[in-house]
Amino acid sequence: MIKRTMFALAGAVALLGAAPALAQDTKVIAVSIPAATHGWTGGVVYHAEAAAKEVKAAFPNIDVIVNTSPSAVAQVGVLEDLVATRKPDALVILPFTSEELTGPVQSVKEAGTFITVVDRGLTDETIQDLYVAGDNIAVGSTTAQFLLEELGKGDVVVLRGIPTVIDDERIQGFQDALEGSDIKILDIQYANWNRDDAFKVMQDFLAKYPKIDAVWANDDDMLLGVLEATQQAGRTDIKFALGANGMKEIIEKVMEGDEITPISTPYPPSMIKTAIYLTAANLNGQAPVRGKVILDAPRITKENAQEFYFPDSPF
Amino acid sequence: MTDTTSELVSKESVFQRINWVDLGPFIALAVLVVVGYLINPDFLSPTNITNVVTRATFIGIIAVGATFVISSGCLDLSVGSMAAFAAGAMILFMNWLVPTWGANAIPAGIVFVLCVGALCGLVNGLVVTLGKIEPFIVTLGTMGVYRAFITFMSNGGSIPIDRSLREPFRPLYFGTVMGIPIPVLVCAAVAIVGSFILYKTKFGRRCAAVGANVEVARFSGISVGRIRTLAFVIQGICVAIAAICYVPRLGAATPTTGLLWELQVITAVVIGGTALRGGKGHIWGSLAGAVILEFIANLMVLSDFISEYLVAAVQGVIIIVAMLIQRFSRRS
Amino acid sequence: MEAALEIRSAPPAETAELLRLTGAGKQYGPVTVLRDVNLSIHGGEIHAIIGENGAGKSTLMRLISGHIQPSFGTINYLGEDMAFHGPADAERRGIVLVHQEILLAEDLTVVENLFLGREVTRHGVIDDRTMEQIAIRQLAALGCTARPWQLVRELSIAQRQMVQIARGLLEEHRIVIFDEPTAVLTASEVDLLLDKIRALRDRGVAVLYISHRLDEVEALADRITVLRDGNMIGTYDAGSVTQQDMARLMVGRELSMLYPHKRGTSAADPLFEVEHLSVPGFVHEASFVARPGEVLGFGGMIGAGRTEIFEGILGLRPAKAAAIRVNGKPVQIRSVADGFEAGIGYLTEDRKGKGLLLRERLAPNLVLSALSWLYRKIYTDERIENAELNGAIRRYDIRVRSKKLEAGQLSGGNQQKLLLAKTMLQDPSIVIIDEPTRGIDIGNKSQIYSFIDELVRQGKACIVISSELQELVGLCDRVLVMKDGRITAELRNGDVTENAVVLAATVGSGAVGSREENARDRHHL
Repeated sequence: MIKRTMFALAGAVALLGAAPALAQDTKVIAVSIPAATHGWTGGVVYHAEAAAKEVKAAFPNIDVIVNTSPSAVAQVGVLEDLVATRKPDALVILPFTSEELTGPVQSVKEAGTFITVVDRGLTDETIQDLYVAGDNIAVGSTTAQFLLEELGKGDVVVLRGIPTVIDDERIQGFQDALEGSDIKILDIQYANWNRDDAFKVMQDFLAKYPKIDAVWANDDDMLLGVLEATQQAGRTDIKFALGANGMKEIIEKVMEGDEITPISTPYPPSMIKTAIYLTAANLNGQAPVRGKVILDAPRITKENAQEFYFPDSPF
Repeated sequence: MTDTTSELVSKESVFQRINWVDLGPFIALAVLVVVGYLINPDFLSPTNITNVVTRATFIGIIAVGATFVISSGCLDLSVGSMAAFAAGAMILFMNWLVPTWGANAIPAGIVFVLCVGALCGLVNGLVVTLGKIEPFIVTLGTMGVYRAFITFMSNGGSIPIDRSLREPFRPLYFGTVMGIPIPVLVCAAVAIVGSFILYKTKFGRRCAAVGANVEVARFSGISVGRIRTLAFVIQGICVAIAAICYVPRLGAATPTTGLLWELQVITAVVIGGTALRGGKGHIWGSLAGAVILEFIANLMVLSDFISEYLVAAVQGVIIIVAMLIQRFSRRS
Repeated sequence: MEAALEIRSAPPAETAELLRLTGAGKQYGPVTVLRDVNLSIHGGEIHAIIGENGAGKSTLMRLISGHIQPSFGTINYLGEDMAFHGPADAERRGIVLVHQEILLAEDLTVVENLFLGREVTRHGVIDDRTMEQIAIRQLAALGCTARPWQLVRELSIAQRQMVQIARGLLEEHRIVIFDEPTAVLTASEVDLLLDKIRALRDRGVAVLYISHRLDEVEALADRITVLRDGNMIGTYDAGSVTQQDMARLMVGRELSMLYPHKRGTSAADPLFEVEHLSVPGFVHEASFVARPGEVLGFGGMIGAGRTEIFEGILGLRPAKAAAIRVNGKPVQIRSVADGFEAGIGYLTEDRKGKGLLLRERLAPNLVLSALSWLYRKIYTDERIENAELNGAIRRYDIRVRSKKLEAGQLSGGNQQKLLLAKTMLQDPSIVIIDEPTRGIDIGNKSQIYSFIDELVRQGKACIVISSELQELVGLCDRVLVMKDGRITAELRNGDVTENAVVLAATVGSGAVGSREENARDRHHL
């Protein structure tokens, strides 16, 4: 009993001694992201960990700590612990939800921490020093643009994900780009960014509509379910089946020059890497990086697919 | 003595022999089919019916197992996670064997996943019976455990099946025998075996007795723990069979595989006429329940007048109405 | 038959009539449990209701207290025809029933239980002080030693009963019904309670008093109403009937006709021996033997450990024994199944909760314990089961309209016969029957006694656990009496009398004397 207490004391002393030393010599970047519960967040975790390793190697005076949380509540807990213990110099956060995380991030900010927000914006934009995100409207419009060019006219069906801002913006970008054209949206249904659900919804679309020219699933995971359903049905009327996000299985198809899926649009989980690099740059004082960085959603084609391909990433 | 016995059986008219309780979910199903046809005649097209019934088989197969567990007075919330874990484990095992075994990896994988399923069920059952902990809590725990396993195994991404196995394995979901999809046949076989076990064996009789009244079972010399553990094992095997049919469909397992299946399974079993507190199980009713759930989802897409935003609400209402139809047919 | 007793029915009492039942009765499904009751209850009287188990006393009390609605007849209360909407309604109108079963929340305190559902508040906040003071006064008046903030879980059975009575008397009521209030009380507690009841009467309250103890009834009641088999036999002035008259009116025939001739104690080698059995919390170091050819009775008050001994033996509760022997050979019993294996069959007292699957049909119920030997293959066969059922129906005279009925649709007597048949299907050599005739009518009762007699005459050993004194006296050749988890007395043949059993159950060992002395002793303890 006494022995154990002694150990604990020794540990505490060591920590106390180490913490100021760290603060003097090393700068700490804390990264808080959702745990890998589906493909895209799996990619985020992969790229965050890769970035942490690379940044640490490049800048010996910068330490990067990656924290994953399975829920918004857990993420709030992580932030509270960070402020209480590590006092990071910068926080890179991909918030679970905007509303619930705004307050906690605000209090981290008040401790003098540089705040980088990724993907989902907070409700109060003044909190963030740096904002890195993809362009969801462009994800929709880039895809629509391709259909306008290659299809010109016809009927399309759409599978959307889970009711969120991301989902809404993509659908909005798609619909706005097609407005007034000869391409008609037959139907839109939720498939929860889930491969199984997409398979079912696509089967039902195929049963409902005898002629479909193109299908857009606003996420590549769903696209895999869609492709399985169309293959089983043996329908030849479908000329294009497109997705989004740049999942590696789909990028492989694009590289091989697949006829049905010749393009994809990126909403890359690697944006977390961009954010960590930029934050590191700011900490080293070499360049001012405050502001917004919106990654474009260019068309991924056979020609440029290689630069969007990460064979080791789970996504 | 033989005379009285035969008299006892032959006296019943055909009408009396129909079990109206068993029939309830099928009446609900019939109503749904009629409504479906009125909404969109394509609903009854052979392709659509085949698609939907085939899709219902995962929930159906698992629901057969769940009928045992619920009949014995327990509950298993871990089936969805377990299905994902079993599918993932099966794929990894087969991919590992492919270089040496080739296509033989598939039968080996099937045997392997059945063992994994039985083992997962055994864990649930033993913790419930030996640990004397509420099944709700135990399986809530293992639900998290199995889900974490699949997430860990896949790094949050997906576990795809080896390309060389994709084609030989595909028929297990997409193939047909005499026009009937293989998963439907598998599901029917599972239900036939399941109903034999539940209705015609000593184990089935004891299972229902344990669920109807634990005390009576104990006082009748029945080992309650053994019966319930076996029910969980049967559940695990059913989950494994569902995983076998699931893997060839999309050729991969992901952390979102089988998400919320446990709720669908429990809903199917209850729509099917088995009381949540245990007692007599209705295996064919559970199957009808599974088909009803899938029909409802199908109709939501096929209909034009339901806003995509309101689909979940309409589904919920239909499930409740199906329960009411079932309840009223029970009274009559 | 009643006329032959030449007992005059009592004229209406002179005080105000509070309640009048006219042609009242109750029917459950096809079974009529109470019929044609004409009864008048007056303020300031103690009105005893007597009858055997199953005579309809509880049903009558539940009718009056609003727990159930009459199927026929009317209830007139304070001059108005009334249909109470549940017991709460009846209580609001001034009628309260003090139940026989303890209906207290074990994890709440005495005060919380006393005021459950009618808490005293002050500005909307629970007023513990006031409630505590009332509780202390009430408990003291009943001589109850329970402390106000004690958990009910910690109380003895007698204390609980007192708390329950205190709860019933918390508010002033016009009619107070006591259902067997003294079954678990000691003699001094009984005396205090009876005084309290007399005080209620003197304040003008009508007291309905149900009891098995005819001596109590004789000492307390002003008028007595007798029920038998759901029929009202009559209402009598207490002064005009003796205890013997009451007994005859209740049973309707001489007691000797109900029971088979006794066999006398057996001198054969023991068939079943239990040495130093302890069931933690219930039974302490009990040892006994049962011999073939005799009926061994177990008596004692509720909670004395009679049932727990046998649940312990069969592994249904944690228990420890130095040795259990069947036919001289030691046996290990961990479950009911092991018990069957060793030749021990046990019929639970709780046939609805632990004996039969009420929603299951008869044949599956009958063979539930027998599945493992009845079928050699893994599957079941309806023909075999139906054959067994037909055999059981004939052998035990189970009266059923259809063999497709569910067990819950049978009358209590037929359920008990089915349960007996189910146990006997295991062909046990030692048959333990807990409360063999609880809640069943007199015809079935008599049949069950003769089944028991047959078993014993075939050379089996039969153990009967009963809280009905008459049954122990009428049926058993030897009776072991328990008190507080210990076996306190062994009575044989002629020594088995109601008073000897009561004395051993309340006072303990060594207190066995003549009948009259004991009866007197009980009131002066």
